[in-house]
Amino acid sequence: MKQEKEWVIEAEHLSYTYDGNEKPALDDLDLKIRRGHKVAFMGGNGSGKSTFFLCLNGIRRPDKGRVLIDGTPIAYTRKGLLDVRRRVGIVFQEPDDQLFSASVYQEISFGILNLGADEETARKKVEQVIRELGICPFQDRPAHGLSGGQKKLVAIADILVMEPEVMILDEPAASLDPKHTKIVREIVEKLTMKGITVLMATHDMDYAFGWADEIVLMYEGRVLKKGTPLEVCADREALEQTNLEVPAVLRLYEKMRQKGMASQKGDPPRTMEELERRFL
Amino acid sequence: MILIDKLCYQSKLRYVNATEKFVYAVLSLVFCIVSRSAAAAVLVFLANGILTVGKGKIPLSHYIKLLLVPAAFLLLGTAAMLIDLSRAPMDAFAFRIGEWYLTGSTASLTRVCRLWITALSAVTCLYFLSLNTTMTDILEVLRKMRLPTLLIELMMLIYRFIFLLLETASAIMTAQESRLGNRDYRTKVRSFGAMASALFVQSMRRSDALYDALESRCYDGTIRVLSQERPAKKKEIVGIALFESLLLLITIWSIIE
Repeated sequence: MKQEKEWVIEAEHLSYTYDGNEKPALDDLDLKIRRGHKVAFMGGNGSGKSTFFLCLNGIRRPDKGRVLIDGTPIAYTRKGLLDVRRRVGIVFQEPDDQLFSASVYQEISFGILNLGADEETARKKVEQVIRELGICPFQDRPAHGLSGGQKKLVAIADILVMEPEVMILDEPAASLDPKHTKIVREIVEKLTMKGITVLMATHDMDYAFGWADEIVLMYEGRVLKKGTPLEVCADREALEQTNLEVPAVLRLYEKMRQKGMASQKGDPPRTMEELERRFL
Repeated sequence: MILIDKLCYQSKLRYVNATEKFVYAVLSLVFCIVSRSAAAAVLVFLANGILTVGKGKIPLSHYIKLLLVPAAFLLLGTAAMLIDLSRAPMDAFAFRIGEWYLTGSTASLTRVCRLWITALSAVTCLYFLSLNTTMTDILEVLRKMRLPTLLIELMMLIYRFIFLLLETASAIMTAQESRLGNRDYRTKVRSFGAMASALFVQSMRRSDALYDALESRCYDGTIRVLSQERPAKKKEIVGIALFESLLLLITIWSIIE
């Protein structure tokens, strides 16, 4: 029995430059991620979030530096990559880039079969995930007949069926309607309860502030700031540099404190609901 | 094609075992063509109509519209076989044009009629299959028939991405239209070229992204997937067997004759 390491992901001095580009996509990036944490990655387009994610399961091999999963460096061999990709799953931003089959059932079964599961186990797992994510009502529809939100759920099921230790969601709420945004967020909540480490790229500061254990601000291929949501939001300079706003609930709370409407004690509320509960 | 795809997902026969439907359609098609018998053709034509419209609940108007496509084609194709230009009139019909006759014989008329109904019945077999079976199910049958995996994977990806391609193309065309991209012939041609090249670039990007996504799910060169089997029903198998035996008898009989 291997002892569980505290850090599930360690990135050391990662550098990566895409062919033909002068500017590196990742520039000497250092980052450690604690097991079971919810980590929000924030930063503008082209700040290196997606490239970093692709390095974490060995799709991109960094030019310099290394990635450790559970304390072991990624081995760029067939077996090593298989192992890493089993542990670290990525839900891509654009479901249409990920879904390759017109059939939802076939689509979801792909990953688990690649892990070498026999047909019976695979079938059981696929059906379980379909039930869990509420895919049943549209599982018989073709991929091109699904809405964006439904496709996203299938894309999440694709990865979930492989039971990864780390799940990466690249802007999961991008171009989703409010209903599906909520569904996706509930799913993410369930993942964390199962003990899965969740890394999520997002532009929604209000959400990240309430959800994340840690926020990582990325800027030009580096980590500009990393810490608890409160720590990160205290660094107004870093927020400004990445064009992020202070979360609404924090702004409101600070105003209320200035006017003496809220007590000085305790941590600031993380969500609007909490603020309402405590002060109104 | 898109219409057929939409209809097949609504068909009430969609969940019938795909192998059954495939075997029925292919055998009927073969008997229809081999026997060249009008009786077999009419039988198949009726059976397919009843199955597709009656059981499958494909709207009759759509079914007729789909049948009109090959029918028009057949009409034009067979006209040449039917009509002769000669100095002497023949027994079926004759129109006089100066010294000549536009004419046809009864023998050629019956031949054309038989060809017509045979060809049309053959087409209904294919319509039956494609209107009541989804593409993914057909691919499953082909996989069972040991068609090369590479071919099946290609067909699977093409089927998935043809819709994305069409979607992108129509989005680009709408955007062009809203900027007067189709004002006259010149701009139309130019817009079309621009759209085609944009589509190509997009496809390249898509294929890169898809490959990354497949790889991150441990893709190793073969796409392995599970299919959902619908159990074959005894009653259906017996029905198909009886129908095909009847066709076989007709075929044998017409060959002997």
